Amino acid sequence: MTTNISGVLEPRAVRVHEIATDRESAIHRCADVLEEIGAVHPAYREAMLDREWAMSTYVGEGVAIPHGLDMSRDLVRRDSLAVLRFPGGIDWEGGRVTVCVAIAARGDGHVALLSQLALILLDPRKAEILRSATDPEAIVAMLEADDEE
Amino acid sequence: MTSIHGGSIRKVVVACDAGMGSSVMLASQLRRELRGAPVIVEHHSIATIPDDADVVLCQLGLAGRARAGAPGSVVVGFRMFLGDPAVARVVAAVKQGGVVFGTPGS
Repeated sequence: MTTNISGVLEPRAVRVHEIATDRESAIHRCADVLEEIGAVHPAYREAMLDREWAMSTYVGEGVAIPHGLDMSRDLVRRDSLAVLRFPGGIDWEGGRVTVCVAIAARGDGHVALLSQLALILLDPRKAEILRSATDPEAIVAMLEADDEE
Repeated sequence: MTSIHGGSIRKVVVACDAGMGSSVMLASQLRRELRGAPVIVEHHSIATIPDDADVVLCQLGLAGRARAGAPGSVVVGFRMFLGDPAVARVVAAVKQGGVVFGTPGS
């Protein structure tokens, strides 16, 4: 599978020393980073919070994937991901989160990276490597890899 | 519809509220697990489930909405994105035969 995914996750969108006291402030940090990199309109933040309260975005292995709603796609400027690492952990509905993979998507540009994330999380050893990685370039490389046979 | 035989399943749709996050991840896992089977796996938002979906997988809390929007599909709710037994049952029914039952609800 050859996919041009460069640009969906940039090293500057990877933050490895984040602190948040709770789920809500973690979502705000995710929205901050998506805004900072120019991926979303400021109103996308509300959609992320609405989505989170409607249903937890916890997916397992200490990872949550905060994102907006179908009707907030127009607030996304380009398909982008941001990775925020919270070494202290956050109580989340569903489990304890140390990594947020925040999603802003209007199309399918992010699909390959999310598929790779699913592969990583299904392998507890790889999931641990992702959770403990502190080099943004390495995190980008891990998610851009294509381990699909 | 309340049940379908595994051999009759041609299209499985993973649906979530936005169709941009959770459903994308689960759909990619399913595609991998069902590789070689004559089944198409797609991800959609709960509001845009196609009519020809034989089975719709969605988070339990969305099952009611999915049933309303896709009356012709068997709707299966799940709790976990990684390793949920309800998802495993759909995979097993497609690969080995067996009946998939929809999640009960009003």
